[in-house]
Amino acid sequence: MASILRQLTRTIRSPIVQNRVVASSNGLRFKTTAPAEPKEETRPTVRKFDPAQREQLKDFGQYVAECMPKYVQKVQLTAGDELEVLIAPDGIVPILQFLKDHHNCQFTNLTDIAGMDVPSRQFRFEIIYNMLSVRFNSRIRVKTYTDELTPIDSCNDVYKAANWYEREIWDMYGVFFANHPDLRRILTDYGFEGHPFRRDFPLTGYVEVRYDDEKKRVVIEPLELAQEFRKFELAAPWEQFPNFRNAPAASEEIPIKDEEK
Amino acid sequence: MSKVSKLTTGITGLVVNQHPHHTLGVLYGKILRTLQKMPESAAYRKYTEQVINERASVLKGTACVETVEKSIGCGQIEEVIVQAENELILARKMLTWKPWEPLTKEAPATQWIWPPAKH
Repeated sequence: MASILRQLTRTIRSPIVQNRVVASSNGLRFKTTAPAEPKEETRPTVRKFDPAQREQLKDFGQYVAECMPKYVQKVQLTAGDELEVLIAPDGIVPILQFLKDHHNCQFTNLTDIAGMDVPSRQFRFEIIYNMLSVRFNSRIRVKTYTDELTPIDSCNDVYKAANWYEREIWDMYGVFFANHPDLRRILTDYGFEGHPFRRDFPLTGYVEVRYDDEKKRVVIEPLELAQEFRKFELAAPWEQFPNFRNAPAASEEIPIKDEEK
Repeated sequence: MSKVSKLTTGITGLVVNQHPHHTLGVLYGKILRTLQKMPESAAYRKYTEQVINERASVLKGTACVETVEKSIGCGQIEEVIVQAENELILARKMLTWKPWEPLTKEAPATQWIWPPAKH
């Protein structure tokens, strides 16, 4: 990234090419022409972003997409200045290895792996990898998807830290990681059944645990609720959050296929 | 051989390299040879060659380790060696992965949409 950053700062400093990044000695690479510049944020309570940093992230996102076109489906900026690379599930090991070992990336630190469950989707689980590059002081997020049956490649060979994180995902969501050396439950109790972070897992669970005085041990019994489940009607006839009617989109896509056009 | 000017890198597990020029020269040669097996148009090859050639020319320019470190600007020379080792391993793996090919699989239309309601 060092060379890109250097070129970028150069372009940013020059006043002629303000909103356009054509940063490559190999000729024309990408044009990130900003569409109609949004109004400058002046409210003191709203977070402001550094445009130079955003440009760097955009350019780096395009760099990753250009180097690994086989796997990268989409690149986006969320929350203003967080770079996300959305990839096909079979590319998880190559992408992570690239981000870790390439000279211009060096994301040597796997901060966390998270999971997400959206039952309405065809591939209901999202697996989210957060990485930190200590060398370049930047972070990146890699997202991929799977369903209940499709295993995802374990990245334990790339990052040793992934071992427990993947066990946690397996425990909470039931996503199977192929080639993981030791895929066991990690957070739930012995003999626990089910995956508690799935959206269809009831809040109360299926069993309850108590100490039995006669048997002199802890027993596990099917859950008995004193009261029936109550269904709360939460949808109101009026609009819930009118202030957010025109809220900006959650993420902002970065074009990655400019060259083909 | 230039005299080693420091006793330690100050980084755990990273020992001072006595012949950094030699080590790096060999590593960069290996990386460039691996990259030559990739297709000419691969972006990864293009950018990696750029980085490696830049560093190799800096390395060739002077025998003073401190000057090299300063002009590469990526940490001590031992860290630069580690980076080159990583790149070499990566480049060799890239040959089997072939990431320059077109996209394997498009995501389902609603996969990356947020918020996910109303589909």
